[in-house]
Amino acid sequence: MENAQLIGLSRQIALQRQLDVVANNIANLNTTGFKAEQILFEEYVMPVARDNDFPSLDQPLSYVQDWATMHDMTGGAIVQTGNELDVALNGDGFFAVQTAGGERWTRAGSFQLNNQGTLVDQSGNPVLGTGGPIQFGPDEVGITIASDGTVSSSAGAKGQLRIVEFANAQDLKREGLNLYSGGQPQANTTTRAMQGHVERSNVSGVTEMAEMIRVQRAYESAASLAQKQDDMRRNAIQRLGDANA
Amino acid sequence: MKALYIASTGMGAQERNVEVISNNIANMRTTGYKRQRAEFQDLLYQQITRAGSQTSDQGTLVPAGLEIGSGVRTVSTPRVMSQGSVNLTEGELDVAIRGEGFFMIQLPGGRTGYTRDGSFERDAEGTLVTSSGYPVDPGITIPGNARGVSIAPDGTVEAFIGTDTTATQIGQLQLARFVNKSGLESMGDNLFLETAASGPAQVSVPNTDGAGDLLQNYLEMANVNSVTEIADLIAAQRAYEMNARVISGADQMMQATSQLS
Repeated sequence: MENAQLIGLSRQIALQRQLDVVANNIANLNTTGFKAEQILFEEYVMPVARDNDFPSLDQPLSYVQDWATMHDMTGGAIVQTGNELDVALNGDGFFAVQTAGGERWTRAGSFQLNNQGTLVDQSGNPVLGTGGPIQFGPDEVGITIASDGTVSSSAGAKGQLRIVEFANAQDLKREGLNLYSGGQPQANTTTRAMQGHVERSNVSGVTEMAEMIRVQRAYESAASLAQKQDDMRRNAIQRLGDANA
Repeated sequence: MKALYIASTGMGAQERNVEVISNNIANMRTTGYKRQRAEFQDLLYQQITRAGSQTSDQGTLVPAGLEIGSGVRTVSTPRVMSQGSVNLTEGELDVAIRGEGFFMIQLPGGRTGYTRDGSFERDAEGTLVTSSGYPVDPGITIPGNARGVSIAPDGTVEAFIGTDTTATQIGQLQLARFVNKSGLESMGDNLFLETAASGPAQVSVPNTDGAGDLLQNYLEMANVNSVTEIADLIAAQRAYEMNARVISGADQMMQATSQLS
C-alpha cells in the first residue's frame, strides 16, 4: 500500500520542480534575451517492485520523473531602443562572447564599451568578432552595425560580429548571466543583426500563470491522494482492531 | 520550496526597475539628464541531470539536461547617452552640446565634474558658473563692462568690451570625452564623475576629435521619452504582480502539504 504514497510523492516532487521552473521564467520576464524553459516529465516504470498479493505477474509501478528541461528558443519581442550599442538577433543565432572559462553564447545584445574601448556585454565579457574582440579608438564616433554583423565607425570597418547557429539548440547548457555554453557552433546563415534594438524575454506571462495554476492544483490533488491513502490505512487498522476485541 | 526564493528575486528586480523608471520620469524636465535603464541577468542554474550524461550501458545519452534556474538579478543601470532634444531658450549663457562630450566643472576639493547641462550664469566676479555656482573649467571671466557675449560652435567666447566695436576673445570652452560614457558615476546636481570604467577624460576643443559642437542660446533637454517610460512602468508592474502570484501559489502548495495529518 505504501507504493501509492511513494508514487504520489514522486509526482509532488516533480511538481515542485516544475513550479521552480515557472518561477524562474516569471522572474526573468524582463531579462534581455532570456529564453523560457519547460520541464519534461516521463513515466518511470519500476520493474523491480515485488508484490505477491497479485494472482498474475508482478505489477509494474509507474513513477513520475522530471527528465529534462527544454529551452523554448522562439524569438522574443524585438524592441527599438535607439541605442547604437544595442543589437537584437532576428533568427536562431547567438552572439559569441569571451569569458574566463572560454567562449559562451548569448542572445542578450545590450552591449557597452569598456574603458579600453572594447565592445563588451553587461558582465564585461568581450563580444567576439570573427577576428577576435571588437575594439574602438578613443575618438571614434558613429558606430554602425550592419544586418550581417559588420561593425564600422568613423574610423572605418572594425570587423564583423561572430554570430553562431546550432543545429540542436537543446544541447546548450544554461550558465546564468544570460550565457549558454556547449553545443556545436556553426557558421551563421540566416540570422540578421538589428542595431538599435534589443530582444526582450520570450516568456509569456499569461501562459506561465496558467501553468502555475495547473501545477498548484495538481499538487493539491496529489496531496489529497496522500491524505486519502492515510485515512484508508487508519480506517483499516481501526476496524481490524475492533473486530479482534 | 525554491520557487518562493526565485519569485522573491523577481519581485526585487521589478521593484528596482520601477525605481529606475520613476527616477527617469521625475527628471523628464531636467536639463541634460540622461535616462537610465535597468538590465537584468538570469542567475546560476542547478544542474540536476547534465545534458549528455549516460542513460544506459549501450551509451545512450540524455539529449537535454534538467536545469533549474535560481531567479534574476539586476546587473547594471547603464545610462543611455543619446542626444536629447535641443530647445531654444534665448539665454545668452545657455549652451547645448550637439554631439558627444561634456562640459568640465571645477568642484570644491579640486575634483572635476562633467555635465551636459549648459545653463550657465555669471557670478559676482563675472566668472562663468553652473546654476549651482561651480566654476566652469577652463575658467572664463566675463568683464563687468562686457556686452554681447557670443559663444561660437568651437567654444570660443567673445564679447564687446566697453565701447569697442570689435569683439575680443575672452576665453575658450573645452569638452571632455570618455571611451565609455555609460561608465560615468552620477553624483546628482546634473554632474558626472570619472571612474575606472569610464576611462580617463580626453579634453579637446569642441568640433574636433569627435567632440560635439556648441549651440549658444539653446539647452539640451532630458532624453526621456514619456511614452516609453510609461509602457515600461506598466510592464514592470505586471511582472511584479506575476511574481507575487507565484509566491502565493508556492505558499498554497506548501499549505497543501502542511495540512496533511
